[in-house]
Amino acid sequence: MNTNQTLTTSLTENEKTIKKLLPAEDILSHAFTTADGRDCLLFYADGMVNKELLGTLVARPLTDLYEEKQGGRDKASVEKTVLFPELKRVENTADMVSEVLDGNTLLLVDGLAVGFIAGAKLLPVRAVIEPPTDIAIKGPREGFIEDIKTNMTLVRKRLKTPDLRFETLRVGRRSQTAVCLCYLEGTSNAEVLAELKERVKKIDIDCVPDSSYIAALASPRPRSVFKNFGTTEKPDIFTAKLSEGRVGILVDGSPIALTAPFLLTEDLQSSEDYFISPFSATIFRFLRLASLLVAVLLPAFYVSAQLHKMQLLPLGLMLTIASSVQELPLSPALEMFVVLFLLETLKEASIRMPKYVGMSLSVVGALVLGETAVSAGFLSTPTIIIVAFSGICLYTVPDFVETGSILRWLFLLVSGSLGPFGIALLIAFLLGYLLTNDRFGTPPLAPFSPLVRRDLRDSAVKYGLHALNLRPRLLRSPNRTRLKKGD
Amino acid sequence: MQAFASQNNDSPNAVHARQVAFFAAFVLPVYKLLELPSLLARYAKGDLLLPALLQFLSQIGILFSLLLVARRSEKSIFERLKEHGKGWEIAFYAVYALYFLFASALPLLDLEKFVYAAFYDTAPTLFSFGAFFLFSAFFCTKGLKATARTADICLFLFLIPFLALIVMSLVEADFSNLMPLFERELRDTVSAMTRSAPHFADAVLLMPLIGNMRYKKGDGTKILAGYSVGAVCTLLFLAVFYGVYSGIAPREHYAFAKIAQYFPALAVVGRIDLVFVYALSIVLFFFTATPLQYATAFATRATGLKTKLPAVVAVCLSAFLFTLFCNKYYDSIYAFFGKYLHFVFIAFGNLAPLGFLFLPYKKSYRPSPPAPPKPAGKPPKKEKKHAQ
Repeated sequence: MNTNQTLTTSLTENEKTIKKLLPAEDILSHAFTTADGRDCLLFYADGMVNKELLGTLVARPLTDLYEEKQGGRDKASVEKTVLFPELKRVENTADMVSEVLDGNTLLLVDGLAVGFIAGAKLLPVRAVIEPPTDIAIKGPREGFIEDIKTNMTLVRKRLKTPDLRFETLRVGRRSQTAVCLCYLEGTSNAEVLAELKERVKKIDIDCVPDSSYIAALASPRPRSVFKNFGTTEKPDIFTAKLSEGRVGILVDGSPIALTAPFLLTEDLQSSEDYFISPFSATIFRFLRLASLLVAVLLPAFYVSAQLHKMQLLPLGLMLTIASSVQELPLSPALEMFVVLFLLETLKEASIRMPKYVGMSLSVVGALVLGETAVSAGFLSTPTIIIVAFSGICLYTVPDFVETGSILRWLFLLVSGSLGPFGIALLIAFLLGYLLTNDRFGTPPLAPFSPLVRRDLRDSAVKYGLHALNLRPRLLRSPNRTRLKKGD
Repeated sequence: MQAFASQNNDSPNAVHARQVAFFAAFVLPVYKLLELPSLLARYAKGDLLLPALLQFLSQIGILFSLLLVARRSEKSIFERLKEHGKGWEIAFYAVYALYFLFASALPLLDLEKFVYAAFYDTAPTLFSFGAFFLFSAFFCTKGLKATARTADICLFLFLIPFLALIVMSLVEADFSNLMPLFERELRDTVSAMTRSAPHFADAVLLMPLIGNMRYKKGDGTKILAGYSVGAVCTLLFLAVFYGVYSGIAPREHYAFAKIAQYFPALAVVGRIDLVFVYALSIVLFFFTATPLQYATAFATRATGLKTKLPAVVAVCLSAFLFTLFCNKYYDSIYAFFGKYLHFVFIAFGNLAPLGFLFLPYKKSYRPSPPAPPKPAGKPPKKEKKHAQ
C-alpha cells in the first residue's frame, strides 16, 4: 500500500485515506465541529494519548474560539487557536501514520489539505525506581525505565549543557524503535560516534525489542563471548561515562543503556567506587577481581588438582577430599560438571519461577538435591562447596555473569582433559584473543595492554578524584581536561 | 590528535619502543629460567654468572648495532630493506623464516618437558602437549602488534610471579655457594658460552620488532634498559638457583617450577608457588609461540602469499611433528644443538643481524623528537606515553 500520499481539502476523503492506512482497531477517531461549523477529526492510538489534555488544549479551543478569536480559515489560524505547545504541521500521510503509531494525535480540519500533529503522547510507563541489577548503598538510586523520553530526561537532568546531544534513529522495519545516540559534543571521539552511527544505521531487522539487539547487531565482534558494549541501568553511571568521552545509546522500550567504547576493567568498577574513599574502592576492586578469578577458575583447578596435580592441595585438605570422594561413582570432572549443571539449572529456574514457588525451589535445590545427593554417595561435599562458592563469587561482578559462566564451563572442560596445562593454555589463548580484538578503536584489555600508565589510575586501582583530572587517554577525547587545577 | 595516531594505528605490525623494551625485559628472560641454569651449572662448573654475563654483554652489543641502524633513518629497517632490492628482501625473509623455525626447536622441546614436569603428577599422553600448537597456530595468525601487546601484559604476568618466586626461594638460598666468583678456567666459561648459545640469541628475537619500529629519540635507551632489566632478572635467578642447589644444580632441570617449594608456609597452604609458576608459564607460551609467529610472518613475506594460513599450517604442523617424534630423543637433540649447531645461532642470531649496518642511509638524518605537538586538549607536560 502506498503510504506516501497527500491530503485533499475534503475531510471525508482524508478520513477514508487515513482509515485505509491505519485499519487497526486501536486507532480511534473523534469528530467535532469548530465554532464556525467546520468539521474536525482527531486520530489517535487508544491508550497512548492524554485524552484530557487533547480535549482541553485542542478540541475545546477550536470549538469555542476558532471563529470569534481568529476569524480566519487558514492553517496558521488553526495553529494559533490550538493551545498545544507541541504542534507541528505535516503534509505527507506517511509521516501522519508514523506519528499516530508513535502515540501522537493527528488533527484534520475540513477545507485544509494538511494535518496537525499534537504531541499528546501518554504512554504507560513504570516509575523511576532503583534498578534491581545495580543497587547502590551510597549514591543516586534512580534507574532507567522503558520509556526513552524519560530516560533522556534523566540524562538531561544531570548534564545541563548544550553540548549534550541526542541523535535519534529509527531501527526496525516494523517496530520503528527509537534508538538514541547520546554524546557530549567536543568530548566524545568523532570517529567512535561515526562508526557507531553507521553500524546502527546498517541494522535491518523487523523488530527491536531491547537494547541487547542493538548491542548484538551493531557490535564490531558479534561472535565474541566478551561484551562489546558497556551496559548500565543507572543514569548517573551513564552520564559519568558520557562525560568521560564515551558515546551512549538509549533504546526505546529498554531500561538498559549501552556505552561504547567498552573496556573489560569497566566490569570491575561500581558506581559506588566514586562515592567512597579511593582506598576502599581499590580494596573492593581487588576483591571483585579475586572473586572473578575464583569464580571462573576454582572449579577447574579443583578438578585439575584431583586428576593431574595433587600437589596443588595441602596434604591435610587432600586427605579430607580423598576420604569424601573415594566411593563416588563419578569422575571428578564429571562430578563437577553435574554440580555446575545443577547450579545453572537452579539459577535459571529460580529467575523464571513465581516468587513463592522459587522459595520452595531453593529448599528443594539446597536441601533435597544437595544434602541427599551427598548422603546417597552421588556427589561429594567439597564439590558442592566449591561450586556454591564459585557461584557466589561470580555475582560480585554482575556484569560479567554471562561471560563468566561460559568461561567457567570452558575452563572445566580443559581442566578435565588437560589439567592445569589446559587452564594456563586457555588463559594464554584468551589473552591472545583479547590483545588484538579492538572494538571501536579501543583494545578491551587496556589500560594494561597496551599499557597506558595514566589510565591505570582508574582501573584495578582507584585514585582519588584529584588525580583523575584528565579523561582516559584510551577514549581519545578531543578535550582531555576534566578537573581544572584550582577547582 | 597526532599523539593518538600511533595509538590508533590499525597496522597489524605496529610496534612501539616501550613494547620492545618490555619484550626484552619480561618475555625473553622466561625461557632462561627453564634449562639454562642447570646447563650453565654443568658446563661452567658452578661459576654460571660469568658466561651468562658475557653472553648478555655480547647481546647488548648486537642490540646496540641494530638500534644504531634503526636510528639512522625515519623509515623502519624493514622498509629500508625493501628499498634495497626485492631479491635481498626475499632472501632475508626466507633465510630468517627457516632460522626462526629452527630456533623454535629447543624452546618447544624444553616447553614440552617442562609442561610434563610442572603441570602433571601423572603421566600425560604425548598428545597432551599438542594443544599448545592450537594456541601457537592462533597466535601465528596475528600480526606483530599482538606480540608487542603481549609484552605489555607480560609486565604483570612476569614481574609479580617472578618476584614472588624469588622471595619464596630466598629462604633456602645460600649465596656463599657462588663464591669465589669468576675464578673458573677460561675453557669452562667458553664451553658454557657455546653450549648456551641457543638460549642467548636474544637480539635476533627482537629484530622483527625493531625492524618494524619507527625510531624516535630515546627509543634506543628504553630498549637497552629493558634488555638490561631482563638480564638482571636472569642473573638474579641464576644466583638464587645456585644458592639453593649448589653442587646438585647440574641435575636440577626446570628448577624454577620447584625452587620455591621449600618455603615454610607451603606446608600449610599447599603448593601455591605453582600458581606463580603457571602464571610464568603463560609468558613462556607466548615466548615459545613467538619464533613460530616470526617464521610464519617471514615465510609469508618471502613467498608473497596473500594469506598467512598456508604458512601457519606448514610452520605449526612441522613444529608439532618435530615435538611428537623427537620428544624421546630430547637429551641427544639438546647435546647435538649445543655441541654442533651452536654456530647456527652465532651466525644467524648474532653475526648476520650486524649486516644491517651496511644498509645505505641518508647521513643528514636526525631522529625525530620524542613527542609530537600537544593537541588543543592540553594534556600535561609530563604525559608522553602512547599505546599501541
